[in-house]
Amino acid sequence: MSEEALRLERTARRKRRFNTLRSDYPLFLLALPGVIVLILFAYLPMSGLILVFKNYNYNGGIFGSPWAGFDNFDFFFSSLDSAIRATRNTVMLNVLYMLTGTFFSVAIAIILNELRSKGFIKVTQSVMFFPHFISWIVIGAILFSLLDFDKGLVNRLLEWTGLAPVDWYAHPWLFVIVLVLANIWKSAGYGAIIYYAVLQGIDTSYYEAARIDGASRMQLITRITLPLLIPSIILLTLLSIGGMLKGDLSMIMGVTFLNPLLLPTTDIIDVYVYRTAIRSGEFGFASAITLYQSVFGLVLVLIANKLAGWYDKESKLF
Amino acid sequence: MPNQENRTLIAFFYLCIGVFALICLAPFVLAVSGSLSTESRLAAEGYSFLPRGFTLETYTFMFGSKAEQILRAYMTSVIVTVLGTVCAVLVTTAFAYVITAKGFRFRNSFAFLAYFTMLFSGGTLPWYILCTKYYHLDDTLAGLFVPYLMNVFLMYLQANYFKSIPHEVIESAQMDGAGHFRIFFRIMLPLGQVGLVTISLFYALQFWNDFYLPLMLVSDEKLYTIQYMMYYMMANIQYLASGTNAQISGVTIAPPLESAKMAMTCLTVLPIAVLYPFLQRYFVRGIIVGSVKG
Amino acid sequence: MVKTRVWLGSALSAMLLLSACSNNNGGSAGEQTAPEETAANGSNESAPEGLKPAKLKIVLYGEESNRMKELSKAEFNDIIKKEINAEVEFQFLPWTEYGGGKTDLMLSTGEDFATYTDTNYMVKSVAKGLYADLTPYMDGAAAADTKNTVDEASFKAFQLGGKQYAVPVGNKPNSAEFYSVLARQDLLEEVGMSAITSLAELEQFYDKVHEKHPDLVGYAATDARRLLMYEYTDKNLYWLNDFLAVDEAAKDDQIISWFESEEFKAYAEIMRGWYSKGIIPKYAATNSPQLQSDWNSGKAMFWAGTAARPFEGAAAITQAVPTAKLTNYFLSKDLPNISRGTYSTAWFVSANAADPERYVMFFNLLQKNQELYDLFAYGLKDTDYTIDENGRLTRNTTDELIPDWLLMNKNFMRFDKSVPDDFIAQYKSWDDGAIISKAAGFNFDNTPVKNEETKMNGVFSEFLAPIASGFLDYESNFPKALEKLKTAGLDKYIAEYQKQFSEWYKANQP
Repeated sequence: MSEEALRLERTARRKRRFNTLRSDYPLFLLALPGVIVLILFAYLPMSGLILVFKNYNYNGGIFGSPWAGFDNFDFFFSSLDSAIRATRNTVMLNVLYMLTGTFFSVAIAIILNELRSKGFIKVTQSVMFFPHFISWIVIGAILFSLLDFDKGLVNRLLEWTGLAPVDWYAHPWLFVIVLVLANIWKSAGYGAIIYYAVLQGIDTSYYEAARIDGASRMQLITRITLPLLIPSIILLTLLSIGGMLKGDLSMIMGVTFLNPLLLPTTDIIDVYVYRTAIRSGEFGFASAITLYQSVFGLVLVLIANKLAGWYDKESKLF
Repeated sequence: MPNQENRTLIAFFYLCIGVFALICLAPFVLAVSGSLSTESRLAAEGYSFLPRGFTLETYTFMFGSKAEQILRAYMTSVIVTVLGTVCAVLVTTAFAYVITAKGFRFRNSFAFLAYFTMLFSGGTLPWYILCTKYYHLDDTLAGLFVPYLMNVFLMYLQANYFKSIPHEVIESAQMDGAGHFRIFFRIMLPLGQVGLVTISLFYALQFWNDFYLPLMLVSDEKLYTIQYMMYYMMANIQYLASGTNAQISGVTIAPPLESAKMAMTCLTVLPIAVLYPFLQRYFVRGIIVGSVKG
Repeated sequence: MVKTRVWLGSALSAMLLLSACSNNNGGSAGEQTAPEETAANGSNESAPEGLKPAKLKIVLYGEESNRMKELSKAEFNDIIKKEINAEVEFQFLPWTEYGGGKTDLMLSTGEDFATYTDTNYMVKSVAKGLYADLTPYMDGAAAADTKNTVDEASFKAFQLGGKQYAVPVGNKPNSAEFYSVLARQDLLEEVGMSAITSLAELEQFYDKVHEKHPDLVGYAATDARRLLMYEYTDKNLYWLNDFLAVDEAAKDDQIISWFESEEFKAYAEIMRGWYSKGIIPKYAATNSPQLQSDWNSGKAMFWAGTAARPFEGAAAITQAVPTAKLTNYFLSKDLPNISRGTYSTAWFVSANAADPERYVMFFNLLQKNQELYDLFAYGLKDTDYTIDENGRLTRNTTDELIPDWLLMNKNFMRFDKSVPDDFIAQYKSWDDGAIISKAAGFNFDNTPVKNEETKMNGVFSEFLAPIASGFLDYESNFPKALEKLKTAGLDKYIAEYQKQFSEWYKANQP
């Protein structure tokens, strides 16, 4: 904390009731760079959404190509059972990722917050980042060497303990566990940093007061630390709800190589679109489904945002 | 008694984190050891924690044939990461300050303006047309970071950190006659330091890990980043796996060697993983000093 | 209130771009200077006099080697400048961008470049107007040499509605692609066998080798419908895509629905046996790239063969197993080889190219004469390669230049010192007695059944591919898979295909 900030904090206490609203124009200036970036790289390209309702051809360009109406959505929604399954799988995996990811991230952050050894924290924090760098293809190769039926390490361990080996790549529901674990492994360290940073900004006087009251460590965690993290948990949950229907194609590609036997659970929307539209070169079909994912996400997030608003006005996204 | 309980709890905590850290470290050790193994034994026996038939061959081969390219790619990656992070953190924190400014009538509008882009995107084609034909970002250094200067997720994170700063601090500054610029640079940035560290870390990772911008906007090899070189190599595996290669007959695409794959992974991860704890401090100090002066 | 304002704002900005983009697309054709010289050039000799300097961009897929980098700036550049007064820039892209991805973006934004294509991608792109029509340059001097050194039938394969949209490259014995078993001859001899002439012998080969080397994989791929064909049918099947085939032995235009046929059932049962037996390893369902790695590192017994694979593949395997030898065998064969044409691939030029003719001239250079072929494929004589008194080649670098597989032309190609004479003789006569497929040159326009085709792809990759590779059993899984395929629109798709094919067949077959 800089000296000036401290001084200002002191004056703040003195004149709390005083409040003058100055002109807002500097706020527009501060937001300007961000707004420009958003307009240039997000809003202007958004006009491409019109392509979803068109049959794109080069001579007509974005504007002149003939209208296709909802034709580009047809392939997806006319095979309804696949569409429903893909939507279900996407939501299911995302909910599982969200729950387990949040749980582990928060747990790690809280534990790190309890530890006092600076060196240990620093080292483990960096190490927990490593998985974030490793591409899914490499992770897939490593997982494969663990889970392969004949030579995999896991099955050899099972055999050694007298259990029957498992063909992991042939059991779609069992593989969900593998995916969830892989996701925790890859993202928990990353998420923990976010929560840990919140905890580091917290005033230690809260704890001292509670400690004087004779609270145990566990009580401190559940009564002080956790509640302090709730706004951040809500924020991150809200942010991820918008992406509820979006899946990670590179993950499924890297980890399962699109194994057909696993598709009953791994056929998320992005995978389905890849298997059908992208492989047959119908990119218009692919972007149509992206719009479906976005609209669905928007609806979910508007609902969730309302709910969050009832809990606490400040935790709303917008 | 509570002391005793605390001690076991703490020991348990150390154990948890230690084990998880080891699990995170393990694949990386496998990668390092794989990159130091001979290809034939790696192919025959699979991964292990100790190199199979220790050799530096993979690295000498890679550096022998591509030393210049790899070093240049490192340079580009470092420049892009540093420039990108500094610019992005400034753009993002300023925006985050605006959407957390109490009493600002349009703060929700701005927040929604940003959030909307997280959900909807117009697809690659218009983005590509604009970047190449209108902004002329193709084959420029700017093209490697400017499109990513505003990560809305990180902007919300920063806003969240700003929200945790006691409102009284801001109020009193306002009473002292400080304008928004002054409050932002002199109070919010220094007080939101932890958040700043975090999002600058995430930004640095984002820029370091990115291969999409070079893939889309760069054809000049001088602007390849290390991550793009990595992607290039992995792309062949992905292509083989997708099965579309059957369409051109007679084409021979050799999958990259296992050891080369691992060596490339080490080359992309190692520098930032080792340097980050040290860099992080200077990064943040630089940003704060810069912003205060600015 | 606030939200409506934001919506208005975003709508406004969207409109802004709309006008910007349509400007771009309207204006881009006009921006380019009209290639006035092309008309005059038709009568020109191939000498550069009278040719304005031009800039060409050639996109290649894969990794650019160091030597390619050096040569493309020096000798390649010089010679191209001298021959056709053009400067060529080679741009390399990852393989994932082939036939889509960035290639598509570059086409859609009207960049001036050329690269190679397959017929599938050609049909789609031409429908969107992305390829330049190269017909006007085909009979002039621009393509004169390539017309001589590349098969006439190859040109036909890349025509749509009588127009030439891509220029084929390569001319090599190509028939019976994947219809033979490419076996590890060294292993075969090791277990006391000399040849493989039937499925029974092939399986015997596996059993014997498996006994000696239990760590070896049997078949290093998941699709064996072609090499097993002679075993499960008397027809001479040629596949048009994953779903359809024709019988080359019958003189008619009948399309066969592959999955509904008795042949598919018989084939699936063989594959199921292979999978249960371990000839195809369990991991094949998950990690098919691993199969190819295994093959390359000498850990598999056989693969699907092509005319060139015995020597193309040997280089990789002998690094791991120095004694490895590869031989092609046909199982119970008594039918002529089928050829789709002798080309490797074909070059197209983007619709917006300023000077398509110059691109054609460049393609022509690649297949013009021995001297240029040697340069582009192997580099500089005595520096990059040497040729001994028998005309055999020794390369001093493993760096790939313009890919060998792409240029390969029987008029010019050279063999490595290590390739035995009898093999070369066999290779050269590989196509003797081969027949050109009756579907060669037919290109299906999928527009009327786009939806059906897309959905069928989904059913194929999930339900039919695993049956075809033996991962799932035919009896219990096929009825459901077929039902899904029918729901996706198989019948409509076949009807459309048959209609287009019959029309084309009538017009093109004698």
